[in-house]
Amino acid sequence: MRPRETDDEPTHRPIIGAVLVAGVAVVLAVAMVDLPREGAPLPSVARYAMDVAIPKWGITEPVNEIVYGTRGFDTFGETFLLLGAVVCVITLTRRREPRQGFIGEQEAGAREQARHDAGSGGNETARQAEKAEEPGEDPTDRPVGPATPDHEPLGRPAPEAAQAMTVVVRVASRVASPILAVAGIYLVAWGYSPGGGFPAGAVMAGVILLVYAAFGYRRIARAVQPSIFETLELLGALIIIGCETLGLVLKGSFSANWIPLAEPQTIRSGGILQLFSGGEFIEVATGLVLVIFAILGMEHDWARDRQ
Amino acid sequence: MIVANYLTAAALFCFGLYTVLTRRNLIKMVMGLSLIESSSYLLLISMAYRRGSTPPVLLNPPHGQTVTGLAKGNVADPVLQNFCLTAIVIGVAVTAVFLSVAVRVSQHYRSLDSDRMREMKG
Repeated sequence: MRPRETDDEPTHRPIIGAVLVAGVAVVLAVAMVDLPREGAPLPSVARYAMDVAIPKWGITEPVNEIVYGTRGFDTFGETFLLLGAVVCVITLTRRREPRQGFIGEQEAGAREQARHDAGSGGNETARQAEKAEEPGEDPTDRPVGPATPDHEPLGRPAPEAAQAMTVVVRVASRVASPILAVAGIYLVAWGYSPGGGFPAGAVMAGVILLVYAAFGYRRIARAVQPSIFETLELLGALIIIGCETLGLVLKGSFSANWIPLAEPQTIRSGGILQLFSGGEFIEVATGLVLVIFAILGMEHDWARDRQ
Repeated sequence: MIVANYLTAAALFCFGLYTVLTRRNLIKMVMGLSLIESSSYLLLISMAYRRGSTPPVLLNPPHGQTVTGLAKGNVADPVLQNFCLTAIVIGVAVTAVFLSVAVRVSQHYRSLDSDRMREMKG
């Protein structure tokens, strides 16, 4: 079916799709009605995890014990699925030449190139003709702001030249980001929060994104660099591999506990669970930051349309 | 009536599947896949629910109970909560892969319309 020119939401075989989905819906509905309900007894694997949480791992949080203990091997695999996804995104989004930062270097380079081109060869008429043909915006036309938004005088009309948001957002994120960062570290440091490193890593990635959104990339460019974050990401993976393999070496079983158990409800409770959780924290936080900045910093990988 | 949650998860799955099957815009297809992911989170968390249960935390037992009693007692299923926790992070990473593929494909074909990408069609 060819869509009309005005149809801005083209579809592909909607009727066949609807019939297929209706069939899947019927199958799923039958299956769902048959699933165990809220009155069903707990599965034996869940009951086992509840039973061993304190005696075997010394931790009062069974969800954490399952993530990093009973089903540690599963989490180990998922960690490397995450790492594989991050490597895929970095490979797909990488530029033709290595760069220091994620965002903005191409623009700065284009600006310099334009300055260089303007000073060499050709007469004024030819340059003007070239410029008129060039579609899209000229990087030299963009305002070049101060290095950080805090150096920009207040009360100027929009748009602000520095890549950042208004003073209201900046003040709010100055207050919120340390609190959020502490909350994230708390989640991973105290091993009896469910999930530990996974939610904590997501919170830390969120803090970095909040700072980026409020202050612009140039403010965080010295810290948020591919080289730093890629190293950290692999360091997290190394901690996890080491933590799990030492169980095999010292205790004869992969992902067995080899750190003496501390008192439950203390920062070291849970043996290797805390180490694994810390490695996962680094892995998730840096992985999410890498993925998001790689997509944000994707540049146009084709010649400009000349129409 | 947790079965209502199950059926909602099935409906979400079907909305996502319909989006993936019938939309031609790559970004919309990725959104459909995200809907399918969300339906699995809803299903996992709903299946973990038990009537009148406590969260799976072995701490501060109510008066007259022991921690061992809590472990044997009526709690929500911690294994399915674990699945949901890890699935969310994996879901974000997989969505990022899809989105970067969508950007590169659209740069190559200069279109997000999947019907225009038929070079491999026999």
